Amino acid sequence: MQTAIAHAHDAHGNAAHGDHAHHHDVSFIRKYVFSTDHKVIAKQFMLASLLFLFVGGFFALLIRWQLAYPGEAIPLIGNILPDTWVSDGAVTANFYTQLLSLHGTVMIFYVIIPLAVGMFGNFCIPLMIGTDDMALPKLNMFSFWLVPPAGLILLSGFFFDSGAAAAGWTGYPPLGPSSGAGQTTWLISLFMIGFSSIMGATNYLATIVNKRAKGLQFFQMPLTVWALMITAILIILGTPVLAAAISMQLTDQYLHTSFFMPDNLLVGARDNSVLTGAFIQKGNELLEHKQLLGGGGQPILWQHLFWFYSHPAVYIMILPGMGIVSDVLATFARKPLYGYKAMIFAIMAIAFLGFVVWGHHMFQSGMNPLLGTTFMLSTIVIAVPSAIKIFNWLGTIWRGDIRFTAANLNALAFIATFIIGGLSGVFMASAPVDIYIHDTYFIVAHIHYVLFGGALFAIFAGIYYWFPKMYGKMLNESLGRKHFYWSFVFFNLTFYPMHILGVGGHMRRIYNPYIYEFLQQFQPMNQFITFAAIILGFSQLILIFNIFWSLKYGKAAPRNPWQANTLEWAAPAHPGHGNFDTDIQVYRGPYEFSVPSRTADFYPQWEEPQGQPEEVVAKDSHLRQHA
Amino acid sequence: MSFDVSKAMEWAYKDMLTFFPENVSTFGSELDQLFAMIYYASVAIFFITYGILIAFIIMYRHQEGRRAYHYHGNNLVEFTWTLLPTFLFAGIGLWSDDAWTKSKSAYRVPNPDVTIDVLGYQSGFGWQFRYPGPDGVFGKKERNQISSANPFGIDSNDVHGKDDLVIISPGGARPVEAHLPINKNVLVNLSSNDVLHSFFLPNFRVKQDAVPGQWIKVWFNGTKAGRYEIACAELCGSGHYNMRGLLIMDSQQDYDAWLDQQYKLKKPETAPAADSTAALAVAPDSTTTKKN
Repeated sequence: MQTAIAHAHDAHGNAAHGDHAHHHDVSFIRKYVFSTDHKVIAKQFMLASLLFLFVGGFFALLIRWQLAYPGEAIPLIGNILPDTWVSDGAVTANFYTQLLSLHGTVMIFYVIIPLAVGMFGNFCIPLMIGTDDMALPKLNMFSFWLVPPAGLILLSGFFFDSGAAAAGWTGYPPLGPSSGAGQTTWLISLFMIGFSSIMGATNYLATIVNKRAKGLQFFQMPLTVWALMITAILIILGTPVLAAAISMQLTDQYLHTSFFMPDNLLVGARDNSVLTGAFIQKGNELLEHKQLLGGGGQPILWQHLFWFYSHPAVYIMILPGMGIVSDVLATFARKPLYGYKAMIFAIMAIAFLGFVVWGHHMFQSGMNPLLGTTFMLSTIVIAVPSAIKIFNWLGTIWRGDIRFTAANLNALAFIATFIIGGLSGVFMASAPVDIYIHDTYFIVAHIHYVLFGGALFAIFAGIYYWFPKMYGKMLNESLGRKHFYWSFVFFNLTFYPMHILGVGGHMRRIYNPYIYEFLQQFQPMNQFITFAAIILGFSQLILIFNIFWSLKYGKAAPRNPWQANTLEWAAPAHPGHGNFDTDIQVYRGPYEFSVPSRTADFYPQWEEPQGQPEEVVAKDSHLRQHA
Repeated sequence: MSFDVSKAMEWAYKDMLTFFPENVSTFGSELDQLFAMIYYASVAIFFITYGILIAFIIMYRHQEGRRAYHYHGNNLVEFTWTLLPTFLFAGIGLWSDDAWTKSKSAYRVPNPDVTIDVLGYQSGFGWQFRYPGPDGVFGKKERNQISSANPFGIDSNDVHGKDDLVIISPGGARPVEAHLPINKNVLVNLSSNDVLHSFFLPNFRVKQDAVPGQWIKVWFNGTKAGRYEIACAELCGSGHYNMRGLLIMDSQQDYDAWLDQQYKLKKPETAPAADSTAALAVAPDSTTTKKN
């Protein structure tokens, strides 16, 4: 790499990106692998998470097959999977439990959070606030490079004799600490990914507070940046609690503490026949350490700590999506975002309330029912800022001039599915109604409406919207629309019927529902859901194909392909390290679309006002229109 | 691999509320009514918001020469659509509270006519039931004495424990069968010796986690005789799906008869001293014993 130094001052600057024949002042490894460029890190998050999306989706389809045809061999692959996973080509009960645990964990911690926060946080924040990079670029690099090893550690559990984590994505003790090495990989991997989140979030906050372009005030930032900033605060406040809880479960597992393990377990462990293998081992281990027998832990403590993080985590996953959707909708409706400040205050309200509602996951846990009343009221109140957001989005498209690009279709789909996900949330927020639907498919339907229908459609919208700036190529619109229609239709066909299963009492995490007489009637419906899910899964290949096809054959993207107002579109079509080729000065808010005094229907934040001060121009134009 | 299309599509053409399993408990109908109320409110909100969304999408689709309206919003409008849902949702919350405390809060548990203990267990996956016996009093629980033969840890020194009746699965794949009387307030003390379980009675709208180290009170009052399923609703291991049990709701007469039979079956184990009566007690099941 001596030549690299020799050519260090080649006049490449920003524009030379992609010209591999030349040597740059950074090596290939530093440029594409251990890069500190926020855009490269964003792409790394995107590719890693899309890979995990297919891993998690594959787990889901294995689960679905078992629910549709329990005990029947999985088509095509059933007979090539190892014997520890399948018997006669059908998943075993043990493997099924691992699958459902890892499906949830992968989708939440390795797909939605890294896409919503890692990818868009990294890509959008510096560009949208008009700066060259993150405040702490090295920290940023570390935050990504914790993700691949964490993911591999998580998945490595499948190759242990005792299998991967099998205590659900929530890892409730005593099942969690008693279920062996798989659970340990789960704990370590979550600890690492949490650490990655905290590093990213610290960086986002430092960047937004310190590095905004000249003239950019907080109340001129686009909603995406606002949402990511508030998300970062949630991460910083919530994730350390998860890290603490994980550490406690780890010490329960290996250092014979009993934060979460009540003492009658130990007593029970004296009689091995009561307990399963893991417990016998656990019990014997604990009996060797008699001095610890007195400690009576509380399983519900884990639930409090876990949900104190994991409920805000729901908003960590959905808030960036709300920001993205706000920007995409305004741009393609060619209209200012309706109620800009109300939207920001609504996000703040959701974030604040998000920290006082965690108990609604625990209505049936044995927690004092008086707390149930409290959590029920706080939970129901959180529907208010969510409703405000829906109304303001509707207000945004009202009297607009809506363009149905792939990005905008996904943003509109976000609203449509978020309405359903929000309404189904009211059912389970009502504690007495939750008694019956708790831990049934009604909950499964709800979480998928919010996280797949909500967060993932918003993420798709964001990918279609910012892909031109990421790669300098336009994504193919017609493939994009096809991907959207297939996803939207089969998403609803997959998850809507799950509400019905829940009303029928169908429990979650059930290997074979049909041993219950009251669930036997639901097998055909489960089969229907499975077919829809298979098509939904394969529809996602259109997106992957589109990405690779467009990278090679896509049209070159102009600087501002959507004629949007926010600062990222002031950067070159495919910005290099350093982002901007001009000095950025901000003159106005992000949503000045269709200003009557102008011929163009957009008015970028960075465009210098011509002639008279802006207010005068606006007033004049108003008069002229009436004349 | 069959596929029944009309059953598979039921979600599309049948009313959601018709899928509830039959309710057979006193407070269950209240919970169902709350569900229905929220359901109708949701359907109304759904049609209004979707109507607006679809109307706007059609009315304001891109057309040549159209220019969007430059408008940033209106505080009065924001204020209105903040307050309206606040009243609606707070109303739902306050309205729900009575049903919640009635079904869950310790201070509103009615005087029980029947009290039983229930344990969820992980080895073999199922439920165990304990009835207080003819003296109507449970033996004291002593945690040191918990074992597979004595899962409830009934204190062997407590005279009240001698006649306690423990109902377990008859073995094999057969589910445990517990009996309870109808039209009586039943109080269940619920716990577990290993991991979390959740005691789920779909027809009674009862669901409560069983937490090791903690005895939680659950109550219900069944209104209709019959055979109902018990399920587990909290992941408890790979056999979680297999925790099916049966709850037989009897008239008081049938229930007493069943209890009597169970006590008679049980006697030989707890009172080995009185062997002559014990031998007779087994009689209903086996004629050979009777002859002896």
